[in-house]
Amino acid sequence: MADETRKKEILDKLRNGVIQYDEDACREGAQEAIAEGLDANEAIFDGLVSGMEEVGRLFEAQEYFVPEILMCADALYAGLEILKPHCKQMDLGVKGSVVIGTVEGDVHDIGKNLVKMMFDVAGFTVYDLGRDVPLDKFVEEQLKTDSELVCLSAMMTTSMVGMPKVIEKIKEKNPNCMIMIGGAPTSKELADKWGADGYAEDASNALKEAIKMVAFLKKLRDEKAQKK
Amino acid sequence: MDAKQLKQFLHTEGATLVGVGDVTKALPKEIVHLNRGIAIAVNRNLTRETVDQLVRLQTLAEGWLKANGHRSLSIPPDSDRRKDKLITKLYKLFCHKTAATCSGLGWIGKNGLIINEQYGSKLTWATVLTDAPLGPDKPYISSRCGDCDLCVKHCPSGAVQGHLWSLRNPLMEMVSYDKCRSLKSGRTALKGKPNCGFCVTVCPYSRNGGARK
Repeated sequence: MADETRKKEILDKLRNGVIQYDEDACREGAQEAIAEGLDANEAIFDGLVSGMEEVGRLFEAQEYFVPEILMCADALYAGLEILKPHCKQMDLGVKGSVVIGTVEGDVHDIGKNLVKMMFDVAGFTVYDLGRDVPLDKFVEEQLKTDSELVCLSAMMTTSMVGMPKVIEKIKEKNPNCMIMIGGAPTSKELADKWGADGYAEDASNALKEAIKMVAFLKKLRDEKAQKK
Repeated sequence: MDAKQLKQFLHTEGATLVGVGDVTKALPKEIVHLNRGIAIAVNRNLTRETVDQLVRLQTLAEGWLKANGHRSLSIPPDSDRRKDKLITKLYKLFCHKTAATCSGLGWIGKNGLIINEQYGSKLTWATVLTDAPLGPDKPYISSRCGDCDLCVKHCPSGAVQGHLWSLRNPLMEMVSYDKCRSLKSGRTALKGKPNCGFCVTVCPYSRNGGARK
């Protein structure tokens, strides 16, 4: 195991690589982390995700815009690809899989991809159905994979109206499945009305919610580490 | 902020043409802050590695802008073929033709391609969008094809309609792409290559460019 200063150096490299959307730096940092025996989970959470948290903040402060967010996400993926195979399954009691997609009639999927990224980071198995997905496919895929979570996204009001049907069908067959909806036309009220368990308004909000979720996982992990 | 400096820099690095356009009116909301479009063109005769060359120029421009404290978004020449990253989703929000016409480097010809007065349609284009307040060039607002209809006459699939482009109706369909595509895919199946491009080679502007060089 590398010493503390070196470890911090590598984590900073990963973090800054994400913030400055430098894919090469992320790749390099990830390789160094593996070569020097850093825990891959730690490299992801304290390096890459910590960078993405800062990106979320910069976006809110209007220093970053949509293009920067996407480039940062690409940089994060560059690092993640290398680190992922070295991850031990995190033992948090929240292992999980998620079905995600943009509902039929809708081809906007930037928000969906950002949310998917955070699930990837958190170690979820992600079944990405892509965009313009027929409603029944969500139900089918949920049953097939027995996922705990289904995420539906829509950018347009016209395609959003398909959401309650999917929610109803899934809940009918599998009442324990959690459902999150997202996209500009959705709202907290609609989510409640349709019986969805969570909601995010747009890409940045989705990112924020997903970061919160991952930050929570991180806290769990830290607490667990302390108890040991 | 001096656009001249950037242009000179890119010219010495191998760009054939560089222009700066005010593209405010053509931007969707995701990138509304990037209201200057830098159009970069490379003459296809110069090198076979045209795309690589353009991507290199874009990266240089991005670096220059970043060093001066500005944001940018590069749209690569082969943007339609790139799907490997998240950022590629933004490429389809903006097209090279807008940047080229806004920066006064060419108009949209009857053949549906950017025509530059010196090089015709024999150019490959890349765009860098930025929020740097660069002084814009004078845009083209209408076609200079005039009465010439060589590309209409020579198009083997009858796809070229012969409309005159103007900024008043910038999205008018100049070429029936279905016809063009079906001819090309037919030829690709037969010979392994599309083997067309008449609308480029017959254009007097393209030929002048070749002769002058």
